[in-house]
Amino acid sequence: MKKLVFAMIALLLLLSGCNSEEGSSNSSGGDEESNEVTVWAWDPKFNIRALEIAEEFYDGETEIDLEIIENAQDDIIQKLNTGLSSGTMKGMPNIVLIEDYRAQSFLQAYPDAFYDLTDYIHPNDFADYKISPTSFDGKQYGLPFDTGVTGLYVRTDYLEEAGYTIEDFTNITWEQYVEMAKDIKEKTGKYMLTLDPNDLAQVRVMIQTAGKWYVKEDGTTPDLADNEQLKEGFQLFREMLESDVAKIVTDWSQFVGAFNSGDVVTVPTGNWITPSVKAEASQSGKWAILPIPKLSDPNAVNASNLGGSSWYVLNVPGKEKAAEFLANTFGSKVEFYEKLVQEIGAIGTYLPAAGSDAYNLSDDYFGGEKTVAQFLEWTEEVPAVNYGMHTYAIEDILVAEMQNYLNGKDLDDALKDAQAQAEAQLN
Amino acid sequence: MICIFYFYPMIQALILSFQSGMGNNLQYVGFDNYFRLFKDPTFISALKNTFIYLIFQVPIMLFLALVLATLLNSPNLKFRGFFRTAIFLPAVTSLVAYSVIFKYLFATDGLINQFLMMIHLVHEPINWITHPFWAKVTIIIAITWRWTGYNMVFYLASLQNIDKSIYEAAKIDGASPIQQFFLVTIPMLKPIILFTTITSTIGTLQLFDEVMNITYGGPGNATITISQYIYNLSFEYTPDFGYAATVSYVILILIVILSIIQFKVSGD
Repeated sequence: MKKLVFAMIALLLLLSGCNSEEGSSNSSGGDEESNEVTVWAWDPKFNIRALEIAEEFYDGETEIDLEIIENAQDDIIQKLNTGLSSGTMKGMPNIVLIEDYRAQSFLQAYPDAFYDLTDYIHPNDFADYKISPTSFDGKQYGLPFDTGVTGLYVRTDYLEEAGYTIEDFTNITWEQYVEMAKDIKEKTGKYMLTLDPNDLAQVRVMIQTAGKWYVKEDGTTPDLADNEQLKEGFQLFREMLESDVAKIVTDWSQFVGAFNSGDVVTVPTGNWITPSVKAEASQSGKWAILPIPKLSDPNAVNASNLGGSSWYVLNVPGKEKAAEFLANTFGSKVEFYEKLVQEIGAIGTYLPAAGSDAYNLSDDYFGGEKTVAQFLEWTEEVPAVNYGMHTYAIEDILVAEMQNYLNGKDLDDALKDAQAQAEAQLN
Repeated sequence: MICIFYFYPMIQALILSFQSGMGNNLQYVGFDNYFRLFKDPTFISALKNTFIYLIFQVPIMLFLALVLATLLNSPNLKFRGFFRTAIFLPAVTSLVAYSVIFKYLFATDGLINQFLMMIHLVHEPINWITHPFWAKVTIIIAITWRWTGYNMVFYLASLQNIDKSIYEAAKIDGASPIQQFFLVTIPMLKPIILFTTITSTIGTLQLFDEVMNITYGGPGNATITISQYIYNLSFEYTPDFGYAATVSYVILILIVILSIIQFKVSGD
């Protein structure tokens, strides 16, 4: 028995020794010689199609063979975390898509895992608010991609039915929005929007109109207890639920189903929803896109952001090729962005592309408006905020407090408790 | 092999549970992670929810399984094979697939609500998924649906090993079917009941798929389980693998304690 224990301990020590060596050697899955560049991304209609178009436009010196692997976003996060934390880069792709809210947590948690793109792209070519999430320590690690700029998608036919015009909904505050929502619900029986009580995306959109976030500008200090804008967001969220103007949904397919089937009057969300709205051809001409409502804060603007993601190159062999590919397509080609916007309606944040004709085309689905040009205009107005690294951790705390608030807890207490919890938990 | 795949990861996880930090930037923090557990409201909710599932769901399920097994063991029942298969089938369906279907069945405008309204049991739809209480009930219904048949099969197998003469003797002594069930069947099945209690307890403490897919832990952590919290700590938030390992060890310790209690209670 004793011998067995000794043998086991010896084996353990041996194995832990192996592990530390492995960690430092940084072995990797990439291959220096081959032309293959692997990419992990989600959303076949949007991001993956964009990659395919990019491959068509690529005309760099070295030939590359792009291998796109589609994964759900959650799976990518999981694979990146397990892969990067294991200390070996085996099996990692060359390029990966990461949501802006999460980018800092990856950049800071795995500092050597990403390849510096500062020499490949010009940060000034991209929208300002995309730079802070994609850079760290003065270096640019991410190539900013889709804007995530928000718009208020409205059903004009329902508005007319209730006696409103689109002017009534242009450049309004959320407060006005809720008031009109109640009236419209009464007149037409239609819900004004969808809300998921487990997802505070709507609150994020609201507070960013006033340049506020869950954390202070340093990106780490939680800013919940005395955050007046957040408080207003909570109040509006509750009012929309309690006055029954919001249809409750619990996932993406119910969310899309709600507007495709005509259950809701408006969809206040990121521009990436355009392909899903247009998927319902029978509603063509019935929609318009207006500026997102803002908070009552005097500094708030009718422009905000929701989601949006960027490309990152991992520090594995083949990184130069991968970086060149990105720089040659997403980082510099106006024609590429023109095709992108025409074919899939994806609006990049590459500013030089904004002047091109393709960005000024009108869209009959949305009543002949120049929707892309509008979105770009709003993109420039989006207040830049530092998302920090803990967006989803803080949001989980807030969702729990939102639930308490809906059940009658005092709002100030709820936010104060959330603040205390966030301070205790985040490191 | 066992050393490499079982003991080595276990010890590594134990070492990890004394470290903290983002992703790979880990430092040793001693017992800080363990102290943090007691001050962490999310962990406490997760622990509370897991125990609620344990206290309500496991006894309901095992009792149901026992009753079903006894009924299906009756030689007078027609189509026994069909019923047995039908009740066992949920246990072999995909965890994710059934969770997703449950989510749609229990949606506010889902089939369950439509049915309840049709038979006038409720006046307005129940917010199964988005109400803290009903969300827990939904999870309990879901896991009961899936695992009752599985436990029933164990009972059925051991019921068939009980000598029929014992029942005959009980009948002669004037025991009603209900008395037979409580005074003969249950005591005879004691070892297997202990086995299913322990496996169900372990299963509940590790509950993940249903909660992840049906309610995503919500509304506001009302249904979050310890396993899902570990997932969130590792993959949803800025990764803190050290703290996640600490929470995993809590599950291990709980399983050990509960199993010991169950052995003691059953007197083995």
